[in-house]
Amino acid sequence: MSLQMNKDTRLESNGVRLERTYQRFMLGQRWEHALLILSVTVLLFTGLPQKYRAAMWSQQILATPERLDLLRQIHHIAAIVLIIEATYHLFHNMYLLFGRLLPEDIFPTWQDMRDAWQMLKYLLFLTKEKPAAGKYNFEQKFTYWFIFLILGMMGLTGLIIWYPLVVTNFLPGGIVPAAKLTHSTEAIVTAIFIIVWHFYHVHIERFNSSIFTGRLSEEEMRKYHAADYERFAGAVQDTTEEESGRDAS
Amino acid sequence: MHHSRAIVRTLFGALVVLFAIWSLVVSPVSAAPFSQDVEPTQGSSKNAQEVTPNNLSIGDDTCLECHGQPGLTMELENGEVLDIFVPPQEHAGSVHGEMGYACVQCHTTVGDYPHPKFSALDQRDVTLQLNEVCQRCHPGEFELTQDSVHAAAFNTGNREAAVCSDCHTAHDVRRLTDPDTGELTPDARLWIPQTCARCHSAIYDKYLDSVHGSTLIGTENPDVPTCIDCHGVHNIEDPTTAGFRLNSPQICANCHTDPEIMDKYGVSTEVLNTYVADFHGTSVVLFEPETPDAEINKPVCFDCHGVHDIAWADDPIKGLKVRQNLMARCQVCHPDATDNFPDAWLSHYIPSPDNNALVYYVNLFYKILIPVVIGGMAVLVSMDAGRTLWNRYRSRKEKEQVELETDVKQPLPGRSKSAADESEVEHE
Repeated sequence: MSLQMNKDTRLESNGVRLERTYQRFMLGQRWEHALLILSVTVLLFTGLPQKYRAAMWSQQILATPERLDLLRQIHHIAAIVLIIEATYHLFHNMYLLFGRLLPEDIFPTWQDMRDAWQMLKYLLFLTKEKPAAGKYNFEQKFTYWFIFLILGMMGLTGLIIWYPLVVTNFLPGGIVPAAKLTHSTEAIVTAIFIIVWHFYHVHIERFNSSIFTGRLSEEEMRKYHAADYERFAGAVQDTTEEESGRDAS
Repeated sequence: MHHSRAIVRTLFGALVVLFAIWSLVVSPVSAAPFSQDVEPTQGSSKNAQEVTPNNLSIGDDTCLECHGQPGLTMELENGEVLDIFVPPQEHAGSVHGEMGYACVQCHTTVGDYPHPKFSALDQRDVTLQLNEVCQRCHPGEFELTQDSVHAAAFNTGNREAAVCSDCHTAHDVRRLTDPDTGELTPDARLWIPQTCARCHSAIYDKYLDSVHGSTLIGTENPDVPTCIDCHGVHNIEDPTTAGFRLNSPQICANCHTDPEIMDKYGVSTEVLNTYVADFHGTSVVLFEPETPDAEINKPVCFDCHGVHDIAWADDPIKGLKVRQNLMARCQVCHPDATDNFPDAWLSHYIPSPDNNALVYYVNLFYKILIPVVIGGMAVLVSMDAGRTLWNRYRSRKEKEQVELETDVKQPLPGRSKSAADESEVEHE
């Protein structure tokens, strides 16, 4: 499931070299990511003026109570979209995992710790070998779980400050201001994390468009998911031998 | 050439003349800035004398020959009887009398005897007619009253709305400010609530019981506000507008952020900061710069602490430190609030391990986490970028080397065909 070779693109014609690509994300996952971008962007841009209310630009945006209400409504709608998407993601993937329809690539393993250690050594010029990653390298797993936890935290704290009366029925009141502080600070941590960490790895280090196209090129596979590539390419070695020979000629 | 020099000279001369005129015009004005606190200046009283030059020869004794007799009255158009007896000591003891102002300086039309005909509809009409005279010496104050809530009420047809003499009286006008400092005298601070109480007696009763009123009346403490400290004087604003409400926290903050006053009573000066940082205040101050008259449903200081019946925070009946009192206040706007709800409000405390500990520790957590996350990511990302650039540089070098050595040698056939130029990073 994780690695399927698209046989159609292996064909070549008229001397044009066609590269084989590997499926990385299913269509549903790509749509989920698009929805995530959309809702998080809306949440960020409707949340920032509320956080930085002392700034002049914020006061110009939120000049009247009506505008504040409108902004909050948009924020709440985007929040509902994100909550639905996150809930779907959680249950859909749990269903797939329990049904053995999805490999457990995303879960952290001890190998990730070793990879991280090797990566550190690599970055410190102590070794020339980058760790060979599987479908998800340790950095991608870290990104996924960091965002996973943050979304949970943001959703939880957001609901607390959205419904303080309900929450204080069964929780101490101090939860509410703490949730407000967490929500507004965590948002900044998230924004910085996405912009510095995620954008660096998918845009600057290399442009990784697989979350939109769903596919990785062979070169990307070999370079960034060496372990998976070896595992997969080894398995299909026999069938690719012929084409490889023809490629070279 | 000659022409242009003449033009320049003329222009320069004109500039000098203009500057001279400007400094002449501006300097007397700026030397006597307008202030509503100052006593009538030399200039304005001279002005008054000029208006009534003929009457100044008439001393108060002349007037009091008749008007000093009790029982002197006149009938008005509606049949009301106007008492025109003036107790001699009343004017003499007033601030005007002390400074030697004569009856005829205010009663400008009655210098001759028999007096010119004076007619008024009723007693109120007499007051309103004579009230116009105040602006002759006090034009600034008179102007300010025109912007007041009293003038607005008057303009909508309420003839009882306060005019000058309703507060200051007609003859017994008292000195309210220290002539040297321009500040209210301790006595005046006590008189003011009593003056306002002539019309606003219900509010006065509330004020008397409040932390401010009881302290003022009981101990004559000058630190507590009297009516005009919050409402202003002369141009008293309508306190029922949305604009007044939105701006009202600043009124309280005038004193409550001043450590010189608050430290004496152990009252926190962080009340405004903490209010602004918390749910309600955040929204209230948000609109102030752009929409100062915005209608808001968020509470301002007086919604919780009371308008005139403000109590000590630990007052058993009204004080907000008493939990059920706070709860009652919360439930005014949040009727479904339950026992835990009031703790959602930080009660003007800055979070600390003792107060709102959870908020304190969350804040501490992020104070550590944010630098660690940003710093860690910045270090890792720049290390990664550095290593990637280094690799790219080296692979170019190597490729050049390979090209030199092998000339135009074809890459080996096989699975790793393109690996020859890629593998320098991963497969060395």
